[in-house]
Amino acid sequence: MGATVKTLPRKGASLKERLYLIEIVKGMATTFGHFFRNLLDNRRLYVRHYPEVQPEIPVRWRGRHRLTTHEDGSVKCVACFMCQTNCPANCIQITAGERLDGRTEKMPVKFTIDLLECIYCGYCVEACPLDAIRMDTGIFSVTGDKRSSFVLELSDLLASKGAFAEEDYKKGGA
Amino acid sequence: MSALDILMVVVRVAFSAFIPLCFIAVCVWMERRGAGFFQDRSGPNRANIFGFRAAGLVQNLADAAKLIFKEDVTSGHIKHKFYFVLAPLIVFFTAVVSFAVVPFADTLVLGGKSYLMQGIPLDLGILWFLSFVGFSVYGIILAGWSSTNKYGVLGGLRSAAQVISYEIPMGLAIVSLLVVYGTIHLNEIAQFQGQLLFGFIPMWGAVLQPLGMVIFIVAAFAETNRTPFDLAEGESELVAGFHVEYSAMKFAVFFMGEYVALFVSSAMIVTLFFGGYQVPFLSTATLINNAKPVAFLLMIAVPVAMHYFAGWIRRSNVSHYPRENDPRVFEAEIYIKCFWGLVIFLEVVLLLILFADKGGPAAHIFVMLLQMATFLVKITMMIFVYIWVRWTLPRFRYDQLQRLGWQTLLPLALLNIFVTSAVVVALS
Repeated sequence: MGATVKTLPRKGASLKERLYLIEIVKGMATTFGHFFRNLLDNRRLYVRHYPEVQPEIPVRWRGRHRLTTHEDGSVKCVACFMCQTNCPANCIQITAGERLDGRTEKMPVKFTIDLLECIYCGYCVEACPLDAIRMDTGIFSVTGDKRSSFVLELSDLLASKGAFAEEDYKKGGA
Repeated sequence: MSALDILMVVVRVAFSAFIPLCFIAVCVWMERRGAGFFQDRSGPNRANIFGFRAAGLVQNLADAAKLIFKEDVTSGHIKHKFYFVLAPLIVFFTAVVSFAVVPFADTLVLGGKSYLMQGIPLDLGILWFLSFVGFSVYGIILAGWSSTNKYGVLGGLRSAAQVISYEIPMGLAIVSLLVVYGTIHLNEIAQFQGQLLFGFIPMWGAVLQPLGMVIFIVAAFAETNRTPFDLAEGESELVAGFHVEYSAMKFAVFFMGEYVALFVSSAMIVTLFFGGYQVPFLSTATLINNAKPVAFLLMIAVPVAMHYFAGWIRRSNVSHYPRENDPRVFEAEIYIKCFWGLVIFLEVVLLLILFADKGGPAAHIFVMLLQMATFLVKITMMIFVYIWVRWTLPRFRYDQLQRLGWQTLLPLALLNIFVTSAVVVALS
């Protein structure tokens, strides 16, 4: 069984095409059509007027991370180090400590994510057995004026809320 | 030398020195907004002064400020610092000077004296242009060589080879033109094109020499290093080519020189093939004799055109997203008022023409201004063609470029000379 071979016709060999000028005029007519249409009515530009108009972020889009909490506001993370072990960019650093509220035995004392290292692969979210880390904040533009401002601490990760409804997030394939 | 003589010298030199420089801003603006519209983008439209964006022209000011205040780096490995600094100056200087012989209006007759309306009243005409355009490539070669950078050297090398291959078809295209016009003087060439062929077609070079026009325009694209012939700075293979080591104002001088060259070569194409400063169908003598009807027609046409232009501004200059008290609407109203003010000024000038003596100095000056305006409009259209081509065609491969120059354009130019001479001899 050989592979099916499809022979494509080579263009550009005919005299009309080798004259260049006719084809050039045809191409220029196309671009001028675009120019003239946009000049007459610039509402038709395929442009999003960012930052006034923000893009729509779908539910499965991997944005900046956050740590989820229980209903009482305590952190879900049990410091199992699954995400840190799984991280291909080594951007997660967890320091575990004893948990005293009786839910589990461990909890993170420090949980830092270096966004300058992060490649936004989402493996941490997949690895987490307790749905404690998510990338559903919808934040796609992270800016800062110094390197340290890109290193997220536990409090930063807990502070941001998810951008989507819980059922949408679940439906989205989490 | 009377006061009028001195005034005329100042006016002519000012025109031919400052108009190309002013057109740098216009060219850059047209290039960017044009590129945007050709590619269905909007182009730079955010930079503003107190909310006034002037359709993106303010971006040019921002760029100028950036380029002036950037650090001017001269790398330590550059041995020949003098040549390194000289190179952009050569490019810029030759581009500005080559405009000096282009006539921007017909010979002005004032007080019994006639004034040649070009920067330097020389008889060299097209030879001056050819020599300076040929010289400008030395700037590029020198820049590439003195950068002591392999990308720079390769860019300069390509530029040298390209200019040699395209100077020849360009020169030969001009030879066949000179056979038709019988003069090298650009003003006489423009005057010649004021005649009518068979009584109704303007006797433009484009009509008399269509093949010569195609060859000349292709060669002019190559001479100005514009796409599809911008191999000297082909960024996909040479980073930035000859100006790879240049930064800040030294780069800006290259950049400006390139746009002045674009302006001058458009002016040259217009002068040689599209009637120069001639208003289509109306020769200088006709215009001077009929200055009043022409002024009257303009008095009607300008406000009508302005009315539609104002409508276009109002439609275009709005925010395309929900916004309370859209400041762009206010901005558009200010622009429209400015333009109406300009129209009123024009109307007053035209009214003065209506009350002036028939065929007097006022009519001569009016015709001169009309021809200058026509010339600039034609040049702007030609610059648009350059931009249009740039955003349509991909870059040529180097061997294709050489083959086009030597194997296609050169024989075609020779054939054109042969046919043209045969026709001219047969007709005379």
